[in-house]
Amino acid sequence: MDRSIQKNGLVNLAVALVIFLAAFGVTVFAGSLGGQAAAVFLGLGVLVTLVSWFQMRLEENERLEKLELDELARSRGASLFEAKDAGSFPARNAREQFEKYFVPGFTVLLLLLQAGGAWLLWYWSGKNPATLKADNAMQGLSLFGIFALLLFLFGRFSVTMARLEDNRLLRPGASFLLASAYVCGFTALGIAGAEARYPQADFWVARGLCVLLALLAVENVLTLVLEIYRPRLKGKVVRPLYESRIAGLLAQPESLFTTAAQTLDYQFGFKVSETWFFQACKRSVPVLLLVQFAALLLSTTMVFVNAGEEAVLEHFGRPVAVFGAGGHWKLPWPADRVYRFRTEQIQSFAVGYTPDAESEAANIVLWTVPHAKEQNFLVGNRSQSPAGTAGTNDAAGAKPVGLITVSIPVQFQITNITDWVYRNTTPEDFLESLATREVVHYFAGSDLNDVLSHGRLEAASALRDRIQTAANARDLGVKIIFVGLQDIHPPTGSDVAKTYENVVGAEEKRLATILDAEAAAIRTNALADSQSYTVTNVADANRVRLVTSAYARAAMFTNQIPAFEAAPSVYRQRLYLQNFAEATRNARKYILLVTNTQDVLIFDLEDKIREDLLNLSITNSP
Amino acid sequence: MKKNAITIIIAAILLVIFVLLLFTFQVRQSEVVVVSRFLEPKRTINEPGLYLKWPWPIDSINRFDQRVQTFEDKFSETYLADNSIMLASVYVGWRISDAKAFFPKFPGGSAVDAQRQLETMLRSAKLESMGRHNLADFVNSDPSKLKFDEIEKEIQDSVQAQLAKNNYGITIEFLGIKRIGLPESVTQSVFDRMKAERTKYITDAQSQGEAQAAKIKSAAERKAADLVADATADATRIQGEGEAEAAKMLGVFQQNPQLAVFNLQLEALKNSMNQKSTLIFDERWSPFSIFQNLPANPTGK
Repeated sequence: MDRSIQKNGLVNLAVALVIFLAAFGVTVFAGSLGGQAAAVFLGLGVLVTLVSWFQMRLEENERLEKLELDELARSRGASLFEAKDAGSFPARNAREQFEKYFVPGFTVLLLLLQAGGAWLLWYWSGKNPATLKADNAMQGLSLFGIFALLLFLFGRFSVTMARLEDNRLLRPGASFLLASAYVCGFTALGIAGAEARYPQADFWVARGLCVLLALLAVENVLTLVLEIYRPRLKGKVVRPLYESRIAGLLAQPESLFTTAAQTLDYQFGFKVSETWFFQACKRSVPVLLLVQFAALLLSTTMVFVNAGEEAVLEHFGRPVAVFGAGGHWKLPWPADRVYRFRTEQIQSFAVGYTPDAESEAANIVLWTVPHAKEQNFLVGNRSQSPAGTAGTNDAAGAKPVGLITVSIPVQFQITNITDWVYRNTTPEDFLESLATREVVHYFAGSDLNDVLSHGRLEAASALRDRIQTAANARDLGVKIIFVGLQDIHPPTGSDVAKTYENVVGAEEKRLATILDAEAAAIRTNALADSQSYTVTNVADANRVRLVTSAYARAAMFTNQIPAFEAAPSVYRQRLYLQNFAEATRNARKYILLVTNTQDVLIFDLEDKIREDLLNLSITNSP
Repeated sequence: MKKNAITIIIAAILLVIFVLLLFTFQVRQSEVVVVSRFLEPKRTINEPGLYLKWPWPIDSINRFDQRVQTFEDKFSETYLADNSIMLASVYVGWRISDAKAFFPKFPGGSAVDAQRQLETMLRSAKLESMGRHNLADFVNSDPSKLKFDEIEKEIQDSVQAQLAKNNYGITIEFLGIKRIGLPESVTQSVFDRMKAERTKYITDAQSQGEAQAAKIKSAAERKAADLVADATADATRIQGEGEAEAAKMLGVFQQNPQLAVFNLQLEALKNSMNQKSTLIFDERWSPFSIFQNLPANPTGK
């Protein structure tokens, strides 16, 4: 083996080791997930390069041993060195032992590292999806770019050397170096994406590299399985077990062109790969890549702002213009950057409640049923504030406060985008805090009963003015469009709201009781009126009857006198018998016809109950 | 040859880009940057723009947000001057006013750590200031007696004094009381009192209704009694008039008192008889005396 190849292997090892250490440091410095995956890939490359370089050394020793033995054989005769025992060729034995035991063992180790690395990186990136440190990202980007360039140069040179010299042992390390160049390049792109407002780019690059590591592990498993069934032919040069075909393909994507060209040649029956078009395509790949890069850069010189949006243009970090809706030109990234905001869109937040889907869907909103996650606000209570002692605990310990629940949606628009963006880190949160403070302040200075009655009408307007004033005082750059008191009621908890509802019910009941009494009074008066009318009329009728009867009796008596005087006893007897018969017509009469007897007669004068009454059956009737 | 030239151009462009990225840095309008040489802070840059630096690790860049950062402290319980207990939370707007002083005081210039320290100071100042005020300074139906602004200023001044004393490089831009409340047990008591207050109104309404109803009924009954009494008096009077007029006829009966009395007896007899009257007569009683002289039954004893 040529010594320069061995040196090349050693250089590859040194480069891989240095860049692995540097990449590891930069990864920690920049906090890049893609960098972590790239460092694992580079670490595997170091191991492969080391083992391949060691195997080169063994083969070189074997070659030197063979040369020495050939020289001795020529100078002393062949018979002395015809012995074929193992002890006669220590270098060859060492190489054979290495290939027989160490290489498969190393390949298994490589497999475990690839599979374990893929799993750990996947798990870690899932747990910490955003670890990129914004302060160090640009340095990380540039350093990974430089690593990519260095690895590309060394890897390309080694791959070419391996192909030209047809050295199978230089190829694995060279392929890994070249593949690592692309891995570092992708890592740099991931960081650039994260910096260019695609924060997930680094994460997805890391995930992609995890998949690549997993594929390498699968490839290793297949290689190991196939190695068991591979026919061992004496003198046949075998491919190193730890050499990855996938890494080779990554390192030399142009080999795809060669394979494709061969396939096309076979299919069409002539040399398609020698046609002008195919050759032009093959030659133009770097140019096309350059054009694509330029197009990508040029695309960052145009910006289209949607209707309802405004965008702040920063030139090297300094805001220089505000773009309205439409297309605009700017310098390419990263010189000019644009930050968009929805300025015309009406944005909103809620004070006093946290809306939830269930309550939003409800068609009926009741005080007594919680309709969102509501917050209680303290409010003054005049009825509990004796003059001069407001705010102090009275003997009973009662506080001059009440509690109410309010739901206040606040809607706003951004009117000054520069103030909105550059004065506060989280202007939405700040505005929400300001609004909540004004609401708390307002209700703390109000009376509970006022707020629940006439005060609610003026509260919304007063709150809108107060929030707008506070926002203006802090230069928030917003216009408060709407503040609504969509709900204000006593707290739902402990049935307080229900008690308030019961007051309304009690008032209704009071009116009902009064109306019932009025109805009863009307009835009583009417009955009394009719009764008095009846009494008077009956009295009047009695009077008439009495007088008329008196006149009639007098007239009749006057007429009886001549009859009586004519036959006093007969007339009396006649009158008596007439009246007796009439008067006793319905009376029960017992007549004793025997008067001269000593018998004792007993009359049972008890009233007999009628038999049919005794047979009555008693039933339950409603 | 041409292919190599293109490759060299691409490599050169990429190298230039990477080198530029290593030797330059941008400062945004919203940022303040501390440039450290061999980890020693050297200069602070507040103005936005593009700046040069030596590549890492010679020069390192530490960026800080110089905008106002807002946070809200915990909703915590405290004693007031009148021995009331109240819960309150405040929100604070702070910003890094001196990045060079701020940077070494917190690990990595972490705003989160700074906020944690600030929250500790804030809580202490809040408890101290609130402890000097009564509940009525926070909640009062007379808004002119509220002291929100005064309390907020006290807390802000106290925290700012602490920050300035130890040169944290932080300025408090604003501070406001965001939430006030009562402990759970006191809240329950307030609920009970609010319910009792409403129950009082309910009882009041019910009692008023019942009282007014009773008055209405009483007045009606009184009026009814008046009416009936008047009518009864009229009836009595009318009856008296009838009696008086009927009495004028009594002289007629004096012509034959024996007959008049006999008539009255007969009338009394008629009026005293009804279906339940039982009369026992013997044969001597007219008209049953007729049985005395009748012939006896030939088959009888």
